[in-house]
Amino acid sequence: MELPRPARRDLEVGRFSRTGARSRLRSGPVFHSASAHLPRAHSLTALTLNSTRATSGHALIQHGRAKRAITVIMLRPATRPALAATRQVRQCAARFLSSPASPDTSSSHVNNPSTTPNKTNPTSPPPNSKSSSTSSKGRKPLTAEQREFLSSALRVNQAGELAATLIYTGQTPPLVTRDPSLRPLMKHMYDQEAAHLRTFNDLIYRHRVRPTALYPLWSVMATGLGWGTAMLGKEAAMACTEAVETEIGGHYNAQIRRLLEIVNEWEAEGYEVGAEFRDLLNTLRRIRDEELEHLDHAVEHDAQKAEPHWLLTGVIRAGCRGAIWVSERV
Amino acid sequence: MRPSPITLRRAARQIFFSSSTLRAAAPAPIAGRSLSTTTGSDCTCGNGSGRPRQIQHSQKLQQQQKQQQRSSYHSYDHPSSPASFTPVEESILSAAYLHVPAHGFTSSALAAGARDAGYLDISPTILPEGAFTLIRYHLVKQREGLAARARELFGGEGHVGAYKPGGLSEREIKGRVEALMWERLMGNREVIGRWQEALAIMAQPSYVPPALKELALLSDEILFLAGDSSVDPSWYTKRASLSTIYAAAELFMTNDHSPEFMDTRAFLNRRLREVNEVGGVFRNLREWVGFTATAGVNVLRSKGVRI
Repeated sequence: MELPRPARRDLEVGRFSRTGARSRLRSGPVFHSASAHLPRAHSLTALTLNSTRATSGHALIQHGRAKRAITVIMLRPATRPALAATRQVRQCAARFLSSPASPDTSSSHVNNPSTTPNKTNPTSPPPNSKSSSTSSKGRKPLTAEQREFLSSALRVNQAGELAATLIYTGQTPPLVTRDPSLRPLMKHMYDQEAAHLRTFNDLIYRHRVRPTALYPLWSVMATGLGWGTAMLGKEAAMACTEAVETEIGGHYNAQIRRLLEIVNEWEAEGYEVGAEFRDLLNTLRRIRDEELEHLDHAVEHDAQKAEPHWLLTGVIRAGCRGAIWVSERV
Repeated sequence: MRPSPITLRRAARQIFFSSSTLRAAAPAPIAGRSLSTTTGSDCTCGNGSGRPRQIQHSQKLQQQQKQQQRSSYHSYDHPSSPASFTPVEESILSAAYLHVPAHGFTSSALAAGARDAGYLDISPTILPEGAFTLIRYHLVKQREGLAARARELFGGEGHVGAYKPGGLSEREIKGRVEALMWERLMGNREVIGRWQEALAIMAQPSYVPPALKELALLSDEILFLAGDSSVDPSWYTKRASLSTIYAAAELFMTNDHSPEFMDTRAFLNRRLREVNEVGGVFRNLREWVGFTATAGVNVLRSKGVRI
């Protein structure tokens, strides 16, 4: 069991280091070492996930202990059943997230997979809420900080989806000329990204959020990135998709986590939660899942065979993080 | 017995604070005490004891509002409090606003308003920005009134957030922008004789940022109410050009003596048309560059270059 353990901070900090990710790629029993670090209640979830690992290649729980949050990222799925397994893992994680105040009930969730995390009533009322029965307290106005978070979240999501559409636009012609069999896949991914962009454009308009000021810069850079990686070859293009979608998946998860914190806080205080927020949460979840599906597709199409894979994905992921950081502010 | 230097210093600080509370710079408890002594010494006022708390409350609210103005996410299910002014400020300012045609945007208008609202003449000094607050009141009220005017002009769709993106043609949006700008300019009609003074006050360095902020909020409001759903760089250019046009038209209007401000209307229409023309030139240029680039790439591809 003492095979290469991922560094402990990888589990706690809430972000992969590159070496950690690679060592996990090599090592099989990630879950055993991961669950060794987890407190009892969390290891329940880890164990459930463990059973799916057999079919799913290397699904992994990233555990931020402070936030009680889980990010699930698929790395190197071996076969098609991996997708189903990922979905199962994601549902499990979402269920876990939906009741952060009482991790002990996660076992009942696991036994009863029909409960969806999107239902209005929390199946386990937080222990400290005496007022949860009086749910007719009305709706709480957003604080300045929450509004700030929501505007920057929508802004960065729009910028991200814009970049994604342009990356696929730039990648498609060179890729399809080399390998016409990729045409349906590229079209599928592009169509999904374009739909995401429309969703966020609508949201930004509806909620009167300022779009990012660096819009032209992101457009040029994204087109260049897409075209450039496609010129390097199919593997590089897929590695680019892999890197981008990994970052985006983690980014959406962070947003969902924060939104759930807000919603849970309201529920604990006995306030109503408007449909606007539930819709936003569901939209983000759906889009996150579709992005991770793109990640799966990229890995299925030899993303890991790109040379040098670590350099390409490392540079692109660092670039993504930088762009996200800037777009949240400007 | 002579007071020690320390007590002297403390007394000096007290005096300093009691004068500066009137500019809302002092910590809240001291502000309350010093103001209560002011009001307590005057026996004509009825409920002097309740007011200091209101004033403290108003200072806190002001800070919150400043924070809220900065952020932009507009929620429909969880709206933030719509009040832009505290109840006290509102009562003083709304009464003072009626005195603007006679007294201008001045502290005498504020004092007259405070008297009308049942406060002391000195109470407008709680307004941190003095006469500028009255100007801001005008700007904010006119801006907030636009939503109702849009409802009247364009029917039920004027309800905020009811627009579907892409539901309106470019031409319709332009018409609506023009109509809303005209409505807003007409909002200045009552105070137009005093508006040059107001512009002068707004041009003072310390008031330029809040005045520009209001201008930006106004153009944002107009474009949103007109149903303009562009969320690309034109979001910025549209707001910038609209702000410029509005400021110019407002300046023009202060010197316009034509019946029903016909000249201002013509001025506004000319400026909007010019912006359309310039925008058209840029659009054409972009289209031409895009077309040439695509054609160039395609020619290279036809020559066998693998790009």
